[in-house]
Amino acid sequence: MSETTQTPTESQQNTTTTGEPETTAGETEEQVREEWRDYQFAGEAKLSVEDLDVYYGDDHALKGVSMDIPENSVTALIGPSGCGKSTFLRCLNRMNDRVKSARIDGSVELDGEEIYQEGVNLVELRKRVGMVFQSPNPFPKSIAENISYGPRKHGDIETGLLARLLGRSNEDERDELVERCLRDAALWDEVSDRLDDNALGLSGGQQQRLCIARCLSVDPEVILMDEPASALDPIATAKIEDLIDDLSEHYTVVIVTHNMQQAARISDQTAVFLTGGELVEYDDTEKIFEQPESQRVEEYISGKFG
Amino acid sequence: MAAETDTRNRNPLVRDDASGTGLVAAGAVGLSALLFVVSLAVLFQAVDLTDAVAGVPVVTLLGGGLVVLGAATVAFGVGSRLGFVETEPQASAGMLAGVVFAATWVVVAGLVASQTLGLGTAGWLVASLAVGGGVFALSVGTREDVGSTVPAGALAAMAGLVFLAGIIGPEWVWDLGFEQKASFTGGFTVPTVTLFCSLVAGWASAKAYGGFGARGRHTGAYTLVYLNAGSIVGVLFLLLAFTVFKGISGLVNGFAVGLGAGPESTIVLLGQSISWEWPFYLPFVMNGVGLTNDFNGVLPAIVGTVWLVVGAVLFAVPLGVGAAVFLTEYAERGRFTQAVEVATNGLWSTPSIVFGLFGFAFLIPRFGNGKSLLSGMLTLGFMLLPLVVITSREAMLSVPDEYRDASAALGVTKWQTIRSVVLPAALPGVVTGIILGVGRIAGETAPILLTMAGGVFVPGSQTPDVIGGFAFTSTPPFVENPVLLDAASALPYQLYALITAGVGASGNVANPDEFKWATALVLLVVVLSFYAIGIAARYYFRRELNQ
Ligand SMILES: Nc1ncnc2c1ncn2[C@@H]1O[C@H](COP(=O)(O)OP(=O)(O)OP(=O)(O)O)[C@@H](O)[C@H]1O
Ligand SMILES: [Mg+2]
Repeated sequence: MSETTQTPTESQQNTTTTGEPETTAGETEEQVREEWRDYQFAGEAKLSVEDLDVYYGDDHALKGVSMDIPENSVTALIGPSGCGKSTFLRCLNRMNDRVKSARIDGSVELDGEEIYQEGVNLVELRKRVGMVFQSPNPFPKSIAENISYGPRKHGDIETGLLARLLGRSNEDERDELVERCLRDAALWDEVSDRLDDNALGLSGGQQQRLCIARCLSVDPEVILMDEPASALDPIATAKIEDLIDDLSEHYTVVIVTHNMQQAARISDQTAVFLTGGELVEYDDTEKIFEQPESQRVEEYISGKFG
Repeated sequence: MAAETDTRNRNPLVRDDASGTGLVAAGAVGLSALLFVVSLAVLFQAVDLTDAVAGVPVVTLLGGGLVVLGAATVAFGVGSRLGFVETEPQASAGMLAGVVFAATWVVVAGLVASQTLGLGTAGWLVASLAVGGGVFALSVGTREDVGSTVPAGALAAMAGLVFLAGIIGPEWVWDLGFEQKASFTGGFTVPTVTLFCSLVAGWASAKAYGGFGARGRHTGAYTLVYLNAGSIVGVLFLLLAFTVFKGISGLVNGFAVGLGAGPESTIVLLGQSISWEWPFYLPFVMNGVGLTNDFNGVLPAIVGTVWLVVGAVLFAVPLGVGAAVFLTEYAERGRFTQAVEVATNGLWSTPSIVFGLFGFAFLIPRFGNGKSLLSGMLTLGFMLLPLVVITSREAMLSVPDEYRDASAALGVTKWQTIRSVVLPAALPGVVTGIILGVGRIAGETAPILLTMAGGVFVPGSQTPDVIGGFAFTSTPPFVENPVLLDAASALPYQLYALITAGVGASGNVANPDEFKWATALVLLVVVLSFYAIGIAARYYFRRELNQ
């Protein structure tokens, strides 16, 4: 499918570069083309976003974004600061509902089911679409409790006095879960001997990996990550990138990053947002980084603006 | 002069503090601290002005100390100005110091001119303004080392000379000539003036010790803050010590240790009775008042107070925390929450007698028309409620939203999030509120007076046995507790009753005055124990939160 669309877009690129002299001046707004955003792929869309508009009060933060996110792949969202990447991400599991001033228009479908309709079970939705936040936010509890918190609240794991009295305690299962999640998030080796210590005592990078582990604990289908590696050193970043690579076999990962190399390394497709909350271009990652259609995207990627 | 205007003028990085001149300044600071403490002791009548220490009356010691302090301060400042002492002064002592010195000297000059020299209104006005203006010019216009030491040192030296010369002594009285009888006595004036002078001169000499400049200002401010904090702690300690001192003899009256020395206690719980013997005997807190008692005590009031506080907390904390959860987590911010906020703040400042009146007029008719422990509990519970709401709300608002977001992103429901994340994180703050509230209600007298009664000397048989009072019945509500509906006594009220009963009512008590002070001491200990329990709880929850 994607090959067939390659040809018309290529010709489009020629007209762009030759036909619009204002763009080179840098000042005039380049028109966003429908075709640049039209990314075709084989298979089902896990998430499909249609005409999404987000307003914070009078501030129009996202303007008519439409994009389909393929299943079991890594989608990178890049763009300058303040262009609405986090806002977009938060729309995918309706975390924006929690912002009082936010108003959301448009449609988002998860496996073909509209999530912005009446009667949607937010608990179920957020269990299926997990999220790692831009800044690490572990609970002021022990490391182990941070991981087992979600499953315990969902009743998948029962510990404590009552469960033990009823003979339903599954502490072994909990320990396994904690270890598995921490290993997946490349944190196990550093904290295995202090699982009962408070999570706030970890370093910033460790906290971020703990948040990733916590997100994995409820076994989501889609994982939304908002700059998960921004506080990490190169080694931990490499671990996280490996983890994302592994995850993409069974999970759909959407990741925001400011690091171009990282986007290029780990993602299958890349969406570029530019200032003003517009999705400008969305395509195969290789295509975006080697032959972007939009002049502005090319400038952004090569570091000339943004 | 050139060095002063050169902003790039650098002072040495390391200063030698052990120089002889530095010691003079340090001695002055120490002396002012000593004078400060002694004058506080005199003010609270722990020491009398006419007492003699090593043959010299205290007033003379204070005067001499002030003179030495003033002279040392002035000498250091002038020495620094003349270059004998190495310091780093700034160009001026600053506006604030100038205004404070000027205001002080205006008062001093005015008093001297009108009282000592007997000048008329115009005369003393001119004199005081002239002196004040001169001091202001001196402290602002000269270099910092002179400007901040000379006015302070002169003030201390002058006050000292006045005391030494006996112009103001222990017998001195200044009748203000008001319609009411009002006068300053020497017993009040001498320590107060010493206190003030030691503060001012101590500040100046601390500045000198720091070598003036930024560092000197820092040491000066530090000294003031420390003297201040020290005096607050000192006053608190004095208060405590006074009560302990007066009450201890009554409290330990008849104290005995040893197996079998104490009385036997029995607790009946669900038909099971557990009894034990105390290995010591402290009759004041183990007995009531009775004809057959070897020693009398205030047990009924102690137990009454404890149950009162427990009942009020059990009533107010769940309601208050629940209201706070609703207000912070569920209610839309707006008119309604604002109205509730204003109402709770207002309720917290409502005088306790008004709460008492409410209990008297509203609760008592509903609980058998007699004063009762239950009415007291509820009245105090109502008093506690607003503070619990306010502090819990504050504590919950300060829980970062990130925790709530993280929990929501895991698909955890709002109520579970509140229970497992918000409330534990807010708990230390909630407990702080309860501590403050309990501190207030445990010592409250007025509401108890109106709702619970009690007596001057309460017999041991009136000790409320709330746990044992519970009984099951076959008709709804299936459980009853007559003890809650009985009148009971509490320590603050009993103390009040003891004080107002005067000397006449002695009951069976050998020494009513001793009894009174011991009651006060026990009240203090009971309130402080609640406080200690609260602090321990808060410490525990905090440690849970961030080990
Ligand atoms: N809670 C909010 N209330 C009001 N305005 C908001 C809120 N969150 C975001 N915005 C606004 O929406 C716009 C997009 O913000 P967003 O956080 O999505 O940017 P971003 O692309 O994630 O930037 P960054 O790379 O810096 O994280 C910004 O102009 C921001 O000011
Ligand atoms: Mg962001």
